[in-house]
Order: sequence, then structure tokens, then C-alpha cells
Amino acid sequence: MIRYALWRILQGIPVLLIVASITFALLRFLPGGPFEREKALPPEILRNIEARYHLDEPLGRQYLRYLADLARGDLGPSYKYVGRDVTQILGEALPVSLQLGAVAFVLCCVFGMAMGLLAAVWRGSAADRGIMLLALLGVSVPSFVLAALLVLGVGLGLGWLPAALWEGPRYAVLPAITLAALPTAYVAQLTRTSVIEVIDLDYVRTARAKGLSELHVHLRHVLRNALLAVVTYFGPLLAMLLTGSFVVEHIFAIPGIGRFFVTAVTNRDYPLVMGVTLLYAVLVVAANLAVDLLYGWLDPRIRLGGREA
Amino acid sequence: MIGPRPQAWLGLLLCVALWGCDASSLPPPAGELRINLGTEPPTLDWARATDNISFLVIEQIMQGLTRLGPDLSPEPALAERWEVSPDGRTYTFHLRADVRWSDGVPLHADQFVYAWRRLLAPATAAEYAYFLFPVAGARAYNGGQLSDPNQLGVRALDARTLQVRLEAPLVYFPSLTTFMVTFPARADLIARHGEGWTEAGNLVSLGPYLLEEWRHEYRLVLRANRDFYAGPPTLDRIVGYMVGEASTALVLFEQGILDLVRLPPLEIRRYRDRPSYRHKAALRGYYYGFNTRLAPFDDARVRRAFAMAIDRDAFPKLLQGGELPAAYWIPPGMPYHNPEIGVRFDPAGARRLLAEAGVNPARLAPVRVVYNTDQTHRLVAETVQAQWQQHLGVRVELENREWKVFLKELTVSPPPVFRLGWGADFPDPDNFMNLFTSYSANNHTGWGNARYDALVEQAAREPDVGRRQALYDEAQRILCEQEVPIAPLFVGAINLAVAERVKGFEPNAMDIFFLERVRAE
Amino acid sequence: MRAAGWVGATLVAVLLGVALLGDDVSGYRYDAQDIPHALEGPSAAHLLGTDELGRDLLARTAEGARVSLLLALGSTLLALTLGVGYGGIAGYVGGRLDAWLMRGVDVGYSLPDILVIVLLTEVLQAGLTDVPDLYRRVLALGLALGLVGWVSVARLVRGLVLQAREEAWVEAARALGVRHRRLLLRHILPNVSGPILVTATFRIPAAILAESTVSFLGLGIQPPFSSWGVLASNGFAAMRSYPHLILFPSLAILVTLLAFHLLGDALREALDPRERGRT
Repeated sequence: MIRYALWRILQGIPVLLIVASITFALLRFLPGGPFEREKALPPEILRNIEARYHLDEPLGRQYLRYLADLARGDLGPSYKYVGRDVTQILGEALPVSLQLGAVAFVLCCVFGMAMGLLAAVWRGSAADRGIMLLALLGVSVPSFVLAALLVLGVGLGLGWLPAALWEGPRYAVLPAITLAALPTAYVAQLTRTSVIEVIDLDYVRTARAKGLSELHVHLRHVLRNALLAVVTYFGPLLAMLLTGSFVVEHIFAIPGIGRFFVTAVTNRDYPLVMGVTLLYAVLVVAANLAVDLLYGWLDPRIRLGGREA
Repeated sequence: MIGPRPQAWLGLLLCVALWGCDASSLPPPAGELRINLGTEPPTLDWARATDNISFLVIEQIMQGLTRLGPDLSPEPALAERWEVSPDGRTYTFHLRADVRWSDGVPLHADQFVYAWRRLLAPATAAEYAYFLFPVAGARAYNGGQLSDPNQLGVRALDARTLQVRLEAPLVYFPSLTTFMVTFPARADLIARHGEGWTEAGNLVSLGPYLLEEWRHEYRLVLRANRDFYAGPPTLDRIVGYMVGEASTALVLFEQGILDLVRLPPLEIRRYRDRPSYRHKAALRGYYYGFNTRLAPFDDARVRRAFAMAIDRDAFPKLLQGGELPAAYWIPPGMPYHNPEIGVRFDPAGARRLLAEAGVNPARLAPVRVVYNTDQTHRLVAETVQAQWQQHLGVRVELENREWKVFLKELTVSPPPVFRLGWGADFPDPDNFMNLFTSYSANNHTGWGNARYDALVEQAAREPDVGRRQALYDEAQRILCEQEVPIAPLFVGAINLAVAERVKGFEPNAMDIFFLERVRAE
Repeated sequence: MRAAGWVGATLVAVLLGVALLGDDVSGYRYDAQDIPHALEGPSAAHLLGTDELGRDLLARTAEGARVSLLLALGSTLLALTLGVGYGGIAGYVGGRLDAWLMRGVDVGYSLPDILVIVLLTEVLQAGLTDVPDLYRRVLALGLALGLVGWVSVARLVRGLVLQAREEAWVEAARALGVRHRRLLLRHILPNVSGPILVTATFRIPAAILAESTVSFLGLGIQPPFSSWGVLASNGFAAMRSYPHLILFPSLAILVTLLAFHLLGDALREALDPRERGRT
């Protein structure tokens, strides 16, 4: 198992390298530079700035310099946030995004699976249809629309919860709901499908016939299977919770990393763009690995290494 | 395997939600002012800051030789008085004796010398180093031709006397020293903390407020400086949140969590009659520039015709924020403003001018107007498009660009017509008029006029108010009436919502927040 | 779900009709300004009200349908073409090439969508110098959306082809000397077209969502064109005073996504009884 994990991590390194190279290349094709200003800078000042950030070197040199720094774990200085390193900026913002993402993750597993389970158990009933309609709405509503609704309705209108900011657990509720809506709906659909599949299987019928209580059957066999279906989705789910967070963090004024996915590009803050992209890639690789390990643990029939990422 | 049942999870979650009530929510305590900064200040290093947000914060925690008074003229601050030599090239500033930094160290003229050398040093790579280019040797030192900082025209004659030698006379130099890049700095602290010297805990300053907490991308807390040389300020704390979405900030304002927010353009109407509404015309000109190297705009008559075919009264109606229609360039609130200057809206005259220039509007290729992506710019562009099409009979195509792409295009190949604005860095007309000299890096029109250049240079040296007015009037007439490389459209406005518990706050044309005497009840 | 599928199909048909008609749906041109009637709520004259320049919101929403749907369909087609080609080759050839190609898919998954869309749109817009300026941005955005969408299609198709390759009839065809190209294009891919079609149906709402998000951030579609995301974004900035400005474009997005999801679910049940997990 450890050997397998190590092998996967090793495989991730070239992926990261390619991600870094693609981003580097795309950034340099991007018209407009980081020090293009509304109030134009005199040429001597531009020269000083370019020298400071090595932007006066040939592109190849800059690329190698970047890779060398990267190998030492140095993501470079931000161009926009004078005097702060990308590592430092991401280090401060990441925990916030992780907190929000974790709450959304729990919401989406709990509610998504509960919805899917109930819909499957009550298959064909009005409750099933109601839950599935809700799920359908969940996958159809853009996050900024839901955010507007929650900020105005729950925040300002009802006054139950703070409309924005990031001061404590109560402040996480509305943004977490916004962030979790789509994946929750999705998990609900997945769960329902896989539970229905299992309920009809022979071994569940047999278990029932053997006299185990209905609930027990549901919990032990059905949930395990549902979980397997949902776990495969954890990788993309994590990605979604982290990138989907731009809009949510922007609207709810949350100091996470989501905002950098867009502002770093519009500011042409090259090191920061590289930094968030690499961070994202690392998270995706790690999540996929975790999913594989979890999968192997949940379902001993699957031999690790037999599955493609 | 799955642990507690869903119900249990749900219960746990509800508990978290209900228990998580916290103290920092509404309403803010008396003596605490909560404002929306909008975004993270990119830096609090006053030598390297360039933007309004950083400026807003730095203005609260630091001071310079001079400061802007409520009427925006320079007043004594760290310098209690100053003298100008008869040739107008040497300024001598006398510092106050009672000023101490927040760590107790007294103010010393050397701290200015250090700060100015640091600002101008090539290695600092400060974008706004050019603000001190009027100082003797500054430009050469920054450009690397002069390597000895001792040859810069700034010297500490003693602990309390700073002498500045300029390249050429400059009548508004005391206005320049109100700007943050000229503030003093401490060599010892910057050496000790390195890049981290501006973080809370490290930052030592001497303004009315001091930095207490800086949670990046989220909020920044200032507390009163009890030892401020002019007496302690009225507020205990200022909390600046960084709510990027203006609509969200407005909701927080309406919930009583924020005291001071900027109003999104379309929300202004609803606020116009409320006591919380504040607005003020800003020292911010908004104009359309013509690329005078491209036909048909290489002909001044055509440019004038296009400028005359704009009904500028439409903009305040459209934008609703108290903008002022403007055909002049020096905005009101700035000395030497003259409202008489500028072309008048005259569609028939404009069509005659076009005909005179031999331009047949029906045959003219569509005129490209390029602006940067933004709701206000879009509204203005769509209005100008409709007016030009209606009054001149030309076809107009609008294009917009992402900000950085737009800026690049302006420097490389300016479009036939482009939108730009200019906000004052310091309240002197030179800051506006210098923009369109033939050698200005900010002049994207390709237009150059020797007479205009000479007038602007002369005005910067002219101490006599009456003569200076005449010089600027003539230059403005060349710019806005005769040659028309730009068509000024309107003067921007500041639109704020201020909670009623906040007393004594008024916006000013420079958009500086004077918070020293503001009270929050 | 059969009834729901029909509802979805009908809605999709109506939306396509609206997109074809554009602002003819309303009595107004989408860019006709009428400042005295700016920012009015819904009325008999303007069913969905007017915006800040007095333009009819129904006309603008209908015109937005054109751009939003065209972009979604176009980018889905691009994603599908790339994905089917890439995944088909990987699955069919298999072995070392497959392993390499799948590393490429890993790279695709490791890039953050939003950032790549924003970046690619600007890069492509600057690069597409042969295209008339007016259409450059729309095209750039469409390409960018398609270029981030191919990855999941590729992975799905590769799996399907890999599976199909092992089946007896493929072996038989190969034994009969059918050329690889022909076998893949004429036999294997048509055989797995059901699940691919289903995926395509789900890519469309995903693309609409992505486009509206990017446009909401002000980095997507730009005037004179308008999309639902642009309209909703403008509405968001005025949501306290003029809720109709965000309400109707949002509803348009919601209904459209709903319609495509309903249709997709129905298609999946009809075409693809085994493939229940969605990609």
C-alpha cells in the first residue's frame, strides 16, 4: 500500500511539471504585463522593476530560474502584493478555503447521501419525486444566483445569519450552502442510483430473508455500496469545492484562495498564478490518491494499482 | 462504518450553527468606525504603494512634511514651516520638535533623507519614484547614471531641518510632499524586519492612527495613537473590511455592520434622498482620446466635430451619481479651473465641420471606440455611440478589452478612439495638464504641440496666481477647443453611504478620508 | 421519468426557438435605448421590464439566449470532437500509448477550469487576428470552454472503447481484416455513441454554467453581445434596488439548465441502461 502510494506520488511529479510549464507558457502569451499601469511609468522605473523581478532576462532563463526556485520550494514574490511571497499569501488563504470546503464537503456528503438514500427507499413516491426535483434544481442553479438569494433572503430579509464576512462558524453557513448546493444534488443522484441498484441485488434479498432487520440491511450493505459510488466522485468534488469557491468567496467576502484564480490572472501576477495553479494540481493529485486508497479500503475486491486514475 | 446516522450529523451541524454566535457582529461599539476598503491594500510600504486603497490606509497611519487641508491646499504637518529661496529652486523645511514615532523614537530629518534615497534607489524599483524626479539628481540616480546618493538634492542640515534642491523651480512642491511616497522612513526598522516591516506588530508609524491588526485579504484594524503630536484622534478604532463585491458591502451596510461603503452606480437613486447619502465631485476627469495619427482624426476639425456632437448632459442622467458634465480638462475643486472652457454641444456645427474637413459620414468606415471592461464605461460608450450615430450619421463600433490588455494596446497601438480617466495625485493643475505634453508617457493620442508644452512648463514655474491662470487658460483652450486631441466628457463623483451614527465625515474631492475628527456614536 | 424527459425536450425546443428568433421574440431591438423608461419593472409594454438604458429586458434575455446557447453548443461540439478523438485512440491502441495519453488527461484534470478559461480566452482573443474583431472574443471564449471540456469526454470514451475492444465482434471484425481506422470510426464508436450522446447532453448545461460564471465575473462575453451571465452580473450590482434585473436572466439560466438535465436524464435511461454513473 505504501509502495503504491509512493509510486503514485512519483507519477504526480511530471504532471506537476507539465502543469507548471503550460501555465508559464500561457502567461507569457497573455497580452499586457504586470506593470502596465493606467498612469504610465517612466522608462527608467520600468527597467528597475524588470531587473528586480528578472523580467529583463530571456524567457528561457526565466523559466529555468522559476523551476530552480520551485525545486527549493520557493514560489517567488508576488508582483501585486509588494513585499509578500506567494508561499506566504497561499499559506494564509488556504486554511480558510479548506475550512469552508470542509464544511461544504460534510454538508454535501450528509445531505446528499441522506437525500439519495431516502429517495431510493421511497422510490416512486411523491417524496422521491420531491427530493429528485430538489436535486435537479441544485444542479441547475448557478452559484451567484443562489448566493444572491441567500444574501438577500436569509441574510438581509430574515436576518437569521450574517449576510457575509468570516468571523466564526455562523458565518460559514450561507457560503457553505452555496458552495455545496451543486455537489449535494449530484451526490443525491449518485446515491439514489447506486442504492436502487443494490436493493434489487440478490444478497440484499437474501439478507432480508435471513431475518436481519430492514434497517440493518440498509445500513450495512446499501450504505457501503452507496459510499463506493460517491467516493469515486470525491476527486472532482474537491476540485469543484476549491474552484467553485471564487464566486462564493467574492460575494461573501471570504479571504480564501478562490479569488486568486481570477484576480491573479487579471493582475498579471505571474508568480501568484503559477502558485495557485500548482497548489490546485497538488490538491487534485492528492485527492485522487486518497480516493484510490479509500476505495481499496472500502472494497477489498479491488486490488490497488489495478485502477487508472 | 458510516458512524452516526445522518440525523446525528444534522444535529451536530445545527448546534455548531447556533452556538457560533460571536461578539464581533452587529452593531459596532461607539468609538469604532467600520469602513469598506473594497480590496486588500497591495502594500503599506509608502515608498512602494501606488493605489488608492493603500493610500487611504497610509494616510491614517503616517504623515509627511505637509498635508492637505480640508480645502486641499497644503498645510504644515511634520514640517511646521518652510521657506523657498528667491530662485525658487531650494526649499527648506523646519520639522516639528514634538513628533515621536510609535516606538518612542523622535522624528529626525535624516529619516526623510533615507526615505527619499530609498524611494529613488534603482533596487527599490518603486513605481512612484518619479514623484520626486523634480529633486536635483533624482532622475539620474533612479536611472542609474548617478550612483552616489549624496549628490541627490536632499540634505539634513540638522535634526530638524531638511533642505531640498530642485532641478528647476516648481511652485507646487509643497503639494507633492503631501503624497505618501515622500513620507519619512526608518532605516533601522526596515533593516531589522526586511520585507515584513509593514506587517502588524512590526509597523512603526507616527500618524493619528496606528496599525493594530492586518488580516490579509480580509480586514485591517487601526487604533488611536494616543501620543499623536496634534492630540489623540476621536475614534478608538477603525476597522477596514475588504468586501470586494459592492452589492454585498451595501447589504452589510444596511444590516448595520459596516458604517461607510461606496454605492454601486445603480443603487444611488434609492439613496439619493436619505440622510446617509454623501456625494462629491472628485478631481477625476473622464475623457475620450483620439489617436491623432489615424485618419480621420488626424484633422483637428474632425476631432472638434466629434467632441461637439456629444451631449454631455446625458452622463449625469445616466450615471446618477452627481457627475458633472465637462468639456474642460482642469476639474472644479482644482485651482485654476475655468468652467468657460470647452466646446459646446452643437450637432449642426459639428456636421458643418465634418463637411468642411471633407468627411462624408455615410462613407466613413465605422469608427472604433475601445474601452476597458466595466459597467460604467460600457454605459458611457453606448451613450456616445448612440449620440455620434444620431448627430453625425457615422457608424460607431464599440470594443472592450480586459484592463491589462487595454493598457498594453494604448502603449503599442492606440485605437482611433479610446476611453481613459485621470485622478489627481495631488491637487495641482500641473498633474492634469502635464498629461498631454508631447513627452508625457500618459499621452496616448500621438498629439504634440510645442506651444502647449511651453505653456505647461512655464505655468509650473510661475508663482503669480493671475499669470498662472492665464497660462493654464491658454493651454486648456488649445487642448479642449482648438486641437482637441481629447474630448473630456465628465468629472467623476464619489458616492458614499455613511451610517447616521457617524458624525463629522464629509467626502472631499481628492477622495481622501479625513478620519482624525470623525466620531462614531 | 418519461414525462419529465418530454418536458425537458419541449423546453429545449422552445429555448432553441427563442435563440433562433432572438430579440424578435419581444417587440423591441435588444440595443434600442429609451432612457426616459430606464429601470422600469415588468409592465404590459415591457414584459420583463427595462435596464439602465431603457432597453427591453425580454429582448436582451432572448438575445442572450442566442449567445449562451450557441457558445454552449459550439464548445460542447469541440470538447466532444477532441475528447472522442483522443479517448478513442487511447482506448483503441491501448498499451504504452494509452498510458502516456492518460497522463495527458491527468494534466488536464490538474488544471483549474476557471483560471484556464480566463487565461485562454485572453490569449486566444489576442491570437485570433484573422477573425473580425467583433466576433473574436465570442470565438475565443467558445474555444476556451471547449478546450477545458474535452478531458472528461476523453476519459469516458477511452473507457468505453477499451471495453468494446475486448468484445467478440470486434475480434471477429479484426480477424476479417477490417482496417483499424474503419473499425474504430465505423464500428466501435457508433456502438458506444449512446453514452457519448448522454455525456454531450450534460456538457451543454455545464458549459452554460461555466460561461455564465465567467461572464458574471466580467471576463466573459462583452458588448455588443450579451449573455445571460452578463445580464445577471449587471443585475447583481443592482439587486437591492432593481431585483428584476437579476431575476429574469437567472431564471433563464435555471430553466435552461433544468431542461437539459431533464433531457439528459431521459436520454440516459433510454440509450444507456448500464451507464448510470455520470461523467
